[in-house]
Amino acid sequence: MAPRNQDGNFMDVDSDSDISLLGDVEHRGKGKGKGKATDKRKKDKGKAKAKEQAYTWEASYTRSWDTVQEDEAGSLQGAVEDLMARGRRRRLLAPAAAIRRTIIRHLVLLLDLSAAMMDRDMRPTRFDLMLQYAREFVVEWFDQNPLGQIGVVGMRAGIGERIGEMSGNPQDVLKYLSDRSRLEPTGEPSLQNAIEMARSSMSHLPTHSSREILIIFGSLTTCDPGNIHDTLDACVKNKIRISVVALAAEMKICRNLCDKTGGQFGVAMNEGHFKDILFELVPPPAQRAVARTGGPGASNPAADLMMMGFPTRLPDSSPPSLCACHSDMKSEGFLCPRCMAKVCDVPTDCDICGLMIVSSPHLARSYHHLFPVKPYEAVRSMDGISEPVTACHACARVFSITASTAVASEGVSPWGRYRCPDCHNDFCAECDVFVHDVIHCCPGCGK
Amino acid sequence: MEKASHLSVIVDLSPTQWHLSAQASNQYPLSIETFLSQLLAFLNAHIASKHENTLVVFGALPGKSVMLYSSTELLTDDMPPLDANSYLPFKLVDSTVVRKIMDELDAIGKLEEEPPCALVGAVTKALCYINRITHHSSTTTGVAEDPTTLHDPRILILSVSPDLSSSYIPIMNAIFSAQKLKVTIDVCKVYGPDTVFLQQAAHLTDGSYIYLERRDALLQNLIMSFLSPPFIRKILAVPKQDKIDFRAACFCHKNIVDVGFVCSVCLSIFCQPLPVCSTCRTKFPINTLKRLNAARPAITPANSRMGVPLANLNNAATPRSTSTPVPNGMSNLR
Repeated sequence: MAPRNQDGNFMDVDSDSDISLLGDVEHRGKGKGKGKATDKRKKDKGKAKAKEQAYTWEASYTRSWDTVQEDEAGSLQGAVEDLMARGRRRRLLAPAAAIRRTIIRHLVLLLDLSAAMMDRDMRPTRFDLMLQYAREFVVEWFDQNPLGQIGVVGMRAGIGERIGEMSGNPQDVLKYLSDRSRLEPTGEPSLQNAIEMARSSMSHLPTHSSREILIIFGSLTTCDPGNIHDTLDACVKNKIRISVVALAAEMKICRNLCDKTGGQFGVAMNEGHFKDILFELVPPPAQRAVARTGGPGASNPAADLMMMGFPTRLPDSSPPSLCACHSDMKSEGFLCPRCMAKVCDVPTDCDICGLMIVSSPHLARSYHHLFPVKPYEAVRSMDGISEPVTACHACARVFSITASTAVASEGVSPWGRYRCPDCHNDFCAECDVFVHDVIHCCPGCGK
Repeated sequence: MEKASHLSVIVDLSPTQWHLSAQASNQYPLSIETFLSQLLAFLNAHIASKHENTLVVFGALPGKSVMLYSSTELLTDDMPPLDANSYLPFKLVDSTVVRKIMDELDAIGKLEEEPPCALVGAVTKALCYINRITHHSSTTTGVAEDPTTLHDPRILILSVSPDLSSSYIPIMNAIFSAQKLKVTIDVCKVYGPDTVFLQQAAHLTDGSYIYLERRDALLQNLIMSFLSPPFIRKILAVPKQDKIDFRAACFCHKNIVDVGFVCSVCLSIFCQPLPVCSTCRTKFPINTLKRLNAARPAITPANSRMGVPLANLNNAATPRSTSTPVPNGMSNLR
């Protein structure tokens, strides 16, 4: 993935477009008649421009609605459309060709639990914000990487502390992160101790899965027992990818860790930016080209073909029988397709014949990464179309007959129409976003 | 207090399948006319059960999907003539749906080969529509009402066609987005063999999948099982499906397989060991191939679970499958 953190403008809009969009629309309803706020707002805007990308402790009190701008008529439509357009353009920038991504992922979440996390520059504290975002991150991560596993390690009082074992169950991981009192920050952090601990817990993993460490680091110091560069070399050798989200400032060693292992490094400027750089790490990383430099003849040692079985699920109402894994008498369960043994839960290896049993929806959850929907083209002019369709092909919303007068930026159709390059059906802006972000399947061509 | 609910009905209108369904050799023949009259009674019951209830009907036709009726949009200009003996909303639904279906079926004309029904298109359209109305209500009704619970949306699929295995990925994508939108998908299999994908759809979205055994009792099944919105179903004992088949379609020949070979990089499923992944171009080690080829199960008819293999009846009609040659190794699979 391209490092986006260099592009400051990009970041600002990035702050989770859905949410900000919803917020804007609500403000449109409520903010009517609040003329008083406008002049104050202008003053603020000048200030914000003077020092762009201010760190959160440098910035004055900001309001989220300052980021949108009214047009002459006092409407926010333009600003909303602009936000949408940016989202569209970002999609267009993404490479269309299939890139290889690792989908079976193993991640160790390294949380900084040092005294530096009690700083209040991010509200309410760095620690509370980190826990909140980490929980959201885990939920989103498992949604997109259903076959992955997450372990949690804390850095506190100079040692690495195992908070949770590797687990593929989001509920388990959330439980590790839910108990605030057990994670109370104290002392100095130790990068080396914690990385060593994470590394040792991942050493047994099969070669076809990815090994990743994500460090959320709030401190500016690390107290290590040995040479951290040795640890770094060991990580490179073990193909562990380290990404760091720093909450304070850039540290040379953190930057080195990421660069050498192929991870991403980011410094959070404020709360929204923190979330953005954290969530950029959710989609599976494109596999590094390094892995296949052996020439066209050499096979990739990291890749393998696995035999998997897709089970049949028995309902609670079926006659009870003993399960193969615990010898318990129960009605529900899954039948191994090869030996017809009953196991309690999937994914697992069949205890009788050793076949890997997975539920196929688990696999299918990641297929939209492989076959993305082609970006729709914005319809720029209605000339040459004798009988244009009157309504959105997907949701039957009626298109406006007149073109919008707003300054049309790139990627926005003045007619509010977006056309699929394959089936040539027109869709409204909302469906365009919905199809590409949620459904991943064009309603017109069914692909 | 009971809330208004939204229902999207997707009707599978494959002419071939309906023709087969109406044949007298079936135990309970069901023609499309009888089906439609019972369906319309069900639609009317949904509208009648609460005034604010919304209804959309989509039709999955060969090669395309159309919106047949929407309670928020006027699809045809001509209003039916007023009749003192009929309730206007009922009359409106009935006449619009029937007229649109007639128009669409007439438009099909004579085809040499019937393309498969665009069920995926209909489902994604239903989802787009639900996305639109839930989004819409959140912007207009204000903060007091929670937009996601306001409409309690659900989709009912009335299916007659067998599984179309080439649409495996899109249909799974649609199911996952339904999960995200908290839309319940109910499936009523009116005719034909069980469909694996729709079973999974109902299971994953907490809906019910009902295989209609007594097809003369269609209306009764519809009203008893599908009329109540999901939150009432917690109280009622709505029939659920018994077994759920978690099989998937392979990427290479679009076969539905229960033991497949999966690429560790991109999780593509294949029905036989391949030297190179066709999706991500990963080369697999030669020893693995040898090992897997040796370990491949010799499939006997007893091993195929359904007795009748769920081979793609429809696939023969898709031009795509004819272009991919089926290697000899596959023939003993079936």
